[in-house]
Amino acid sequence: MKKYAFGCLAFIILCCYPIVSTATEVVVGKVQGTRGLVSIFRDGKTKPAFPHDKVFLSDTIMTGSNGAIGILLEDNTLISMGPISRLEMKKFKFSPAKNEYEMSLKMGQGSFVYQSGLLGKLAPHAVTLDTPVGKISMLKGTDFRARFSE
Amino acid sequence: MNWKLLCILFSCTLILGCGSKKNFIVLTPTEDGSVGALQVENQKGSAILDEEGKAIYVADKESVPSEPTAISRPEIDAFFKEALQVHPLMPQSFLLYFLFNSNQLAEESQQKISEIQQAIKDRDSTDIAIIGHTDRTGSDAYNQQLSFKRAQAVQKFLTENDVNGDDITITYYGEGNPLIPTADNVAEPRNRRVEVMIR
Repeated sequence: MKKYAFGCLAFIILCCYPIVSTATEVVVGKVQGTRGLVSIFRDGKTKPAFPHDKVFLSDTIMTGSNGAIGILLEDNTLISMGPISRLEMKKFKFSPAKNEYEMSLKMGQGSFVYQSGLLGKLAPHAVTLDTPVGKISMLKGTDFRARFSE
Repeated sequence: MNWKLLCILFSCTLILGCGSKKNFIVLTPTEDGSVGALQVENQKGSAILDEEGKAIYVADKESVPSEPTAISRPEIDAFFKEALQVHPLMPQSFLLYFLFNSNQLAEESQQKISEIQQAIKDRDSTDIAIIGHTDRTGSDAYNQQLSFKRAQAVQKFLTENDVNGDDITITYYGEGNPLIPTADNVAEPRNRRVEVMIR
């Protein structure tokens, strides 16, 4: 009986697996540290974010009034944000082998600490950030902090 | 001195002061001490920031960005206190070296283990990449295999030293990605390496 149940379970997992893995989600980074209420908005749904969670292209990361989150992108760019902040991963390409570089993030309101990674070193001009007050373009890889209030 | 006037002036300064600091971007130095440059641009104008500790203030999308203005370090840190508490550590990379034509780790490289363990602990890392390389003596195909064997030797070395095997991923490049570019068939000890990247 137990064996049969395991068989069924394996069958269900096998059936579900291709559906999950066919979604062409592009990993752009991962969550490193969190504090308080933090969430990721993806495919129309909001889910809580935890350390080691993957961050995908088109995700919007949000923090609550006591929240803070630190993320590590694939090119080693580090971004952390404080309470009531929003950040959308609009575009991200980092493949040195193909010489393809692009990063476009949309910062909403909030407080942001940005530490430049390999994109900033190899292709600063491929990095742009939309903000509530205008566009930030990287001229030469740099760290910066920004604060936007609505 | 008219106290009433002074009070009014003081409140105005406060309000204006806070108001103008609603939105700003400030440049901070990188870990290696270098300072880069960025541009802030909207329909009304643009400003370039290329000095550390200087900030550009912008009221909104419809306002001209300010000239770079000095802002004190304690003030910067206070505004970003919560973010800084969860700001990740930069990934750390270690190079381990090998004996000629061998997957035997050099003695000095074996001593790196405590630093590697510490780097994993500091980052609470579950993402450890092992990347194998060789120098350019021998054929391409042979070196592909050798770089793989070296990467596997490092994997074994790490797991024997309490690193979780599930957190490790292996890639290898043979002689195709030398640290020190050389002509073919040149022995170069610095290219006989495996990189361990802790993210």
